[in-house]
Formats: sequence, C-alpha cells, structure tokens
Amino acid sequence: MSRYDALAEPIGSVGFAAKPARRLSGAGVVPALSRPAPVPASRGLPLRATIAALVAAGLAAGAWRLSGEAGGTRLALSLVFGALFGLVLQRSRFCFYCQWRDFLVLGDPRGMLGILAALATGIAGYAVVLGAWMPDPSGTRLAPDAHIGPVGPVLVLAGLSFGAGMALSGSCISAHLYRLGEGSPMAPFALLGTGLGFGLGFLTWNPLYLASLSEAPVLWLPRHLGYAGTLGLSLALIAALAWPLLRRLPAPQPASRPDPLHAAFVARWPVWLGGLAVGAIGTLSYLRVGPLGVTAEIGGRTRQAAGALGLLPERLEGLDTFRGCATAVREALLTPNGLFVGGLVLAAFAAALVAGQFRPAWPKPGQVVRGLSGGLLLGWGAMTGLGCSVGTLLSGIMAGAVSGWVFGAAMFAGAAATLWLGRRAGVLS
Amino acid sequence: MLRPSAFLFTVAAALLLSAAPAAAQEPAAKPAQGSPAKDNPAKDTAAKDTAAKDTAAKDSPLVSTEWLEKNLDAKNLRIVEVSVEPGVFERGHIPNAQNVAWHTDLVETVSRDIAGPEKFTALARRLGIDRDTTVVLYGDNNNWFAAWGAWVFAQYGLTDTVKLLDGGRKKWEAEKRPLDTRTAEVPASTFTAQAPSGKLRARFADVLAVAKKERDEQILDIRSPDEFSGKIIAPAGIQELAIRAGHIPGSVNIPWAKAVNPDGTLKSKEELKALYAAAGIDGSKPIITSCRIGERSSHSWFVLSRILGYDARNYDGSWTEYGNAVGVPVVNLAGTVWGGK
Repeated sequence: MSRYDALAEPIGSVGFAAKPARRLSGAGVVPALSRPAPVPASRGLPLRATIAALVAAGLAAGAWRLSGEAGGTRLALSLVFGALFGLVLQRSRFCFYCQWRDFLVLGDPRGMLGILAALATGIAGYAVVLGAWMPDPSGTRLAPDAHIGPVGPVLVLAGLSFGAGMALSGSCISAHLYRLGEGSPMAPFALLGTGLGFGLGFLTWNPLYLASLSEAPVLWLPRHLGYAGTLGLSLALIAALAWPLLRRLPAPQPASRPDPLHAAFVARWPVWLGGLAVGAIGTLSYLRVGPLGVTAEIGGRTRQAAGALGLLPERLEGLDTFRGCATAVREALLTPNGLFVGGLVLAAFAAALVAGQFRPAWPKPGQVVRGLSGGLLLGWGAMTGLGCSVGTLLSGIMAGAVSGWVFGAAMFAGAAATLWLGRRAGVLS
Repeated sequence: MLRPSAFLFTVAAALLLSAAPAAAQEPAAKPAQGSPAKDNPAKDTAAKDTAAKDTAAKDSPLVSTEWLEKNLDAKNLRIVEVSVEPGVFERGHIPNAQNVAWHTDLVETVSRDIAGPEKFTALARRLGIDRDTTVVLYGDNNNWFAAWGAWVFAQYGLTDTVKLLDGGRKKWEAEKRPLDTRTAEVPASTFTAQAPSGKLRARFADVLAVAKKERDEQILDIRSPDEFSGKIIAPAGIQELAIRAGHIPGSVNIPWAKAVNPDGTLKSKEELKALYAAAGIDGSKPIITSCRIGERSSHSWFVLSRILGYDARNYDGSWTEYGNAVGVPVVNLAGTVWGGK
C-alpha cells in the first residue's frame, strides 16, 4: 500500500503534468484511477469471505454441471477460464487504460511492463501451440480461429476510437467487466454504451467494408517469417518497448515478508504477475476453447437484438468471413463467450469482496455521461476493429497478427491524445 | 514478497480447475479407460486376428470406432478428418489422423466446382494416399463433410478403399476414446489423379431432364420438409439462397437424418432399405441425390451408393443452382409465390 502512496506524486513523463493536475479531493495528490482509500481489510471479513466462497462454489458447481452434459466440455472450460481471468484481472488491476495513465501521468512504468509481460508469455505459448497445429504456416491457411484481422485505415480508426473511449469511460471493456464485479458506478453505463456502440458499428460496417476493409490485407507474421522469426521479432519489439520503461522503474522497496493470505487476497498483485497469468490463460484457452476475447457475446447479442428490432442492414457484407471476436447471431442460450464473461464478472466480484474492494456507489450524472459516451466509442471501435484490447490486441499479437500491433498502437495513441486534451480542458483527471 | 502470491495463485488456479471436472473428463485426459466396458472382452481376440478384421473392414464401406481404435497404427491405413468447424481438428483429433479443410482442399475456391485433378493430386500425395491405401474419413456434423470427401475421392477412382467412420467424431468423443493434438507425419504418395469420372455426379441438364420427365430417374431431396415444401428457402442463418423456394418436380423428400441413429451411426442395411423403399426408391431406377449445396446430400449418396449398392449420383448444384435457374419447372407446395409485399 505504501508503495502506491509513494507513487501518487505527479511525476509526469511525457509532458502530461505540464499543467498541474486538477485536484480531485483534499488529499493533495492525484489518486490513480480505481484506487479508493483502503478500508480496513478485516471489517466484516467473515461475511464477505462466506459470500465469496459461495460464489466460487457456485462457479465450480456450474462448471461441473456443464461438463457432464454432452458437448459441454467447451462451455465448462469457458466458465473456468473466465473465472480465472476475472480473478487475475481484479487482483492485479490488469486494466490497459489505468496502466497507461499511470505511466503517462504518474510516470510509473510497472503496469505497462505487466502488459508487455502478458504479451511475451502469450507469444511464446501460442508459438508452442501453433507449431504443433500447423507445422507449416507458409501456405494460404491461417492458424485456426486465431484473431488475425485485416490491416488498414479502418483498423487504425477503430483503435483510435477505442482508445478515446477508454480515456473517457476510465477503462477498456474487459476492465469495465471486472469493475462491474467491484461495484463500479461507471461500468454499467460504459457497458450499455458499448452495446449501443456495437449497434452503431453494424450500421457503419457496410460502407467501411466496401470502401476499405474488403481490400485490406490480412497479415499473419508466421506466414512470412516462420514461427522462429515471428517469435524473435515479436520478443525483440517487446524488449524495445520495455527498455525505456525499465529505465523509469521506481527505486525498489525494502524487502518485506507479508502475510501470504494478505498478499494473495487483499493486496493487489504486481501487474507483471497478472501479466504472466494472462499470457498463460490466453495460451491454455487457445489450446482448448479459443482465443481470449470479451466482446463476442456483447456483439452477438446486440446483433441479435438489433436484428429483431429491424435496425440492422439486411446483410453485413463480408463480416462473418473475418477472424476476430465473431458477432455471429446467437442461437443457444449458453455460449462459450457468454459463460466466459459471466465467470469473469462473478470471480472479480468474489475477489473484490474478499479484498474489501467491492464498493458499490450511486452513479453521478457525470459518470453516466462519460460512461455512455466512452462506451459508445469503445463499442464502435471493438465492432469495427473485430475485437477489443483483449480479442484484437492481446489474442492478435500472441498469434502473430499484424492487426494486433496496429490496433494496439492506435489504441494507446487515441487514449493518450484524449487524456491530454481532456486534462487540458479540465474534464479528465 | 512475490513468491507467496505466485504460490497462492497457483493454488487458487489448481482449486478452480480441479473443481471443474471438465479437464478430467476430457477424452484426451484418459486414454486408457476410454473404451466402454463391453468392448474389453473383444480386445484380446481382436489382437490375435487383426488380419481377419482387416478383411472384414475391407468389405464394408464403414468402420466402427472400436475397429479404428485397434487399428490406429495399421501400416496401410490413413485416417483423415473432414470437419467444417475450424479448430476442431487442432484441439484434438483421432490419433494419427490428418486434416482436410472442406472449404479449401476439396473444392475450387474461385469457381464453384469440386477440387480439380491438380489440386486433388497434391492433396492425395500430402495425405500419403495411393490406390491401395485404406482411407478412413470422419468428421463433425454427422460426417456430412466426410461423406462429401468420400464422394470427391470416389470421382477420382478412390472408391472401395475409402470408408467412413460409423458415427463420426460425435461417437468417438461420446465413447471417450483418445484424442491427440499432434500432427501425424506420413510419407507422401505418388498418386496422380486423372480427370474425374462423371458417373457419380449429376449435372443440371440431367436433373432438368428428370424434372421434365424426359428421363426415367428418381430424385431424392434430403432437405428439411420446410425447405422441400417451399415454406422457407434455406435454414435460418444460411447466406447462400435461391431466388425461388420449393423443389424439383418429381423429387421425393427423405431428410438425411432419417438414415441415422441417435448416436450418429447409420441405421442397419435392412432399415435403410425399408426407409427408402417406403418413398418408392428401391434401386430399380438410377437415383439423383440433391439438397441445398450438395454436401448433406453426399451423406445420402454414400448410404444409397456404398451401403445399399444402388446406382446413385450426387447433384452438387442442388437447390442453389436449380432454384436460381431461369425457365425451369418448380413445385412449391407451400404457395410462397414470388411477388412484392
């Protein structure tokens, strides 16, 4: 905890502190997002731990039940992977925007290093899996259902929009999902906005497809460089990105021997630890179920609802031929991605409850507006970019897709620009 | 400081994973106990006379899951999965099986046609298939695409050596037999394909001649009753449509699924004979099988041609060709006639 306090000074690494940060509270420092004042971890602990244990037991029972049904293995695994993902996201605060903002505003590079750790782990894991699945990647075929999308101006636009949405609403879609479990007042509106953004994305899809997407190349690095070349290049890129971050690391804290239970269930995990876990879950999920992604269900359900209301174009040209977080209309009640998202939210709720980080609050008007408008940008970006920071960025880069890198660059640029403008205008902190 | 948290994460992950029996119940996880108890007594005898079993398999167009598991390592056998769902093969296939992508390997991708001789030659060589190689095809979706594969193989002269795994992927998985994720490596063959034989394929002109009663043949339409009657043009969510709904005049409707047991295996020869005879198809006249794009109908083609030994051809143009053709007779029982709203 003291580590965070030491960092709450605006160090400002890229000119973000040129203007003194607006003071949000009387604390006199800029609090990092979603780090509310800690409540004593022991208050009401027995009750909180009991509820969390019940949620965990419910998830386990759900997985058990699903796995017993014919063809239920994928569903059960999706639920388990979703729960693990939610636990890791909540415990390590694995939020693309918060970590980016911590770096830009507070000069703390550790969160971004954690994201790079997730990518490096996943890249190595995918290479092991893909090497077995497709010994020769040089043909015309792409890795099975990996998120390898078309690269072109539309992808950049999608990334910029997604980044702006993150800055406005306070985080990306996956982080809104785990924050839903933390009782965030903004998350429900951001997710509602995301659904609306998907609808908007469907409406603009056909013109964008005809103007640009149909000709955008689908670039898969292993096809051109082989697996070894892709692994080498990707890891070198990550090393190059990590180098300047490593030079800004804060002075190491004196080693302490914390209580292990406290370290696991109350204190936030270091982001790099969460990153390693995300890379491992990404690899295992690809091996057994499919690439990680959190928007397929949101997109698919929106498409179903909009279709039922007659709001969709008759046909979405070429959409279903692209890889990514498929938004194919849902036929079944339970889908792998739906269970993944459900498991994510519930496990994050249980983890937050134990840690004393479940703090529901009534939304303020500003949060409603920012959530809805930011969510709209998130949703449009995720629909048009065929996935979000998880589906397109993480799962794409892990699989060797150029689209993952391009989306990531545009997303972080969009978030930085919006944050900079927002701080200038005194709207964002 | 980090070690305890890493350790606890591992414990938490292990707890969550072990709580879900999914991993433990996965067929791949327990190869040894996989086969049902009733199969066990047969194991010893089967091991003793594999040769006898080989001849048994040679005569039948089908092999059982039990036979295949015992012969996974047989020398002159190639196991080929043809599934339509991407990633199904990679996440676990029958050991030693090789993958064929229906969308790209068995068809031409620019024009609408079966794979041409050059493409098929390359495919067969990659799979290590020669004229004397026993090939077992299987796949998801009740072997639909595996049956399409058998139909394409047959047009290139690979007929009697090509079998379907009775029950397909579904039955193999249900019986919790072992799956593998590694890629089999087989020596390439020297197979060279000639021009495909036209004897197993019905073309538009053939079907039209039957529709106009210029030729005495039978058309078996295996689509759903609603597609056959013209109530709908295609099943929900299908992109490839026709301009008109209904069916080819003179065709009879027996949905493909009627030939299949609940466990995915084909019904017995006698049951199948009775099923088709009830609709007037008894093998006395040449038969043309048809559906929407010709892939489900290759399932019924396999039943009629390979199991019952009838003279059957598959019409791969099917309703997406016939229902789009200009100036051909159409029967529409549902009365969904063309017109503005």
